[in-house]
Amino acid sequence: MLPPMEIDLDTLRRMTRLSGFDWSDAELEAVRPALARALELLARLETMPLREVEPATQYRVI
Amino acid sequence: MAELGRMIARKEVSPVEVVRAHLERVTALDGRLKAFITVCGEQAVDAARAAEARLMAGSAAGPLLGVPYGPKDLYNTEGVRTTGGSKILADFVPAQDATVVARLAVAGLIVLGKLNMHEFAYGPEGLNAHYGDARNPWDRNAHRIAGGSSSGSGVAVAAALVPGALGSDTGGSIRIPASLCGISGVKPTYGRVSRAGVLPLSWSMDHAGPMARTVEDCALMLGAMAGYDPADPTTSVLPVPDYAAALTGDVKGLRVGLLRAHFTDVAAPEVRAAVEKAAKTLEQAGAVVDEVNLAEVVHVPSASFAIVATEALAYHADWMRTRAAEYQPDVRERLRMGAFVSGVHYVRAQQVRQLVRQEMDAVLARRDVLLAPATPIPAPVLGEKTTILGDGASDVRSALIRLTRPFNFSGHPACSVPCGFTQGGLPIGMQLVGRPFDEATVMRAGDAYQRLTDWRTRRPVLA
Repeated sequence: MLPPMEIDLDTLRRMTRLSGFDWSDAELEAVRPALARALELLARLETMPLREVEPATQYRVI
Repeated sequence: MAELGRMIARKEVSPVEVVRAHLERVTALDGRLKAFITVCGEQAVDAARAAEARLMAGSAAGPLLGVPYGPKDLYNTEGVRTTGGSKILADFVPAQDATVVARLAVAGLIVLGKLNMHEFAYGPEGLNAHYGDARNPWDRNAHRIAGGSSSGSGVAVAAALVPGALGSDTGGSIRIPASLCGISGVKPTYGRVSRAGVLPLSWSMDHAGPMARTVEDCALMLGAMAGYDPADPTTSVLPVPDYAAALTGDVKGLRVGLLRAHFTDVAAPEVRAAVEKAAKTLEQAGAVVDEVNLAEVVHVPSASFAIVATEALAYHADWMRTRAAEYQPDVRERLRMGAFVSGVHYVRAQQVRQLVRQEMDAVLARRDVLLAPATPIPAPVLGEKTTILGDGASDVRSALIRLTRPFNFSGHPACSVPCGFTQGGLPIGMQLVGRPFDEATVMRAGDAYQRLTDWRTRRPVLA
């Protein structure tokens, strides 16, 4: 399992810039509560034993 | 829709009269209900005249010739603006119809107007800061949400502003408003209906489908919409059955699995009781009902978040860089979450999708349909943030999508059907889920239930 992500402002700024977004500090502060909940959700994915599972694609074309 | 189509075919009423009557109703009621973003008055009357001419000329007519409907305002409509419920696309006028809109036109249906929605379909409440919040017609006093994101579709059908509508469903956006507004809605199998010309929210979770008063109406619409489309590479080449012919009213021997843990058992008491009673109704009509659990669905919130957040931001990335201020605040915040999901998270979510799908397929190998509430709660009051479910407190947004989203994640077909009312007079919806590409059995069960009950006949008081 990955270590829990730090969500200090500097980390947020770097992550969003890596993704190509230039959001202000105020905007980043505003998303922190929602982000904390989102990171909890993502952390749950890390706890699952999925190594042997082939990823699905939704495209079930017949 | 079915009855209106029959009356038109028998020339008891003309398409022009039908369209004008509905336009008058929109004028009288929609100032308060806010179901429409754009009303297509003149175009609709012109189309009705053309349908009338087609009828009088004796050309082959389908069962819905001359019947008006409303597409959610994310279906492209040639020459009619398609906003996606947004300010960003307020002036976008498509050059051609979405495949589904074009197919319904061939079947003789008439676009009465474009229907309200949560901005860019990114919210199950059905709220819209730009065009107003659609209002649930079942409460004359409190402003209750219609559910979303296809809120205008739910309200317009429930209030009889249109006989039928198109919705889209990424986490429940057809079934949630159908449940909260007391109508029927079908989310087909992923791949059954073309998404070409439909604004995406999340490509791998989006489904296009019909909403109407009855399952029979939905079956007629779906029959005209479904099938392979070269413009959408995810559509299936499987033949489309005659859905209307599949509605036999017979459920003898039908194997129904009542979903317990994480579904019926977490619903509000009145909802749980209504769905349990619906199971008994089906059983008394000859269905074989057992109880079943889907353990893997506990992982759906995490995995579907990783997928939807990523795909949604991918679509909106350019606008989020240049026009972020033009989004309504809740949608902007949800879109921003996508920037924090890694590629590893996205693939792990797809692995979870495989597990969830396999479990559902296994459960459905021994049953024909699964039964559960469509939403665990009836329509909340606008602004209500939290609710109590059978397993504790929940925010309203999570509660609304909790029972529907697993089947977007898996791609299985599902429909929502009214199955009762709360003591306060709010509709309750149940959900029927079937095997991939077996919409016919899902709708047969839903239609049979509607023949056994009269919930669909109740109307909200709007005067």
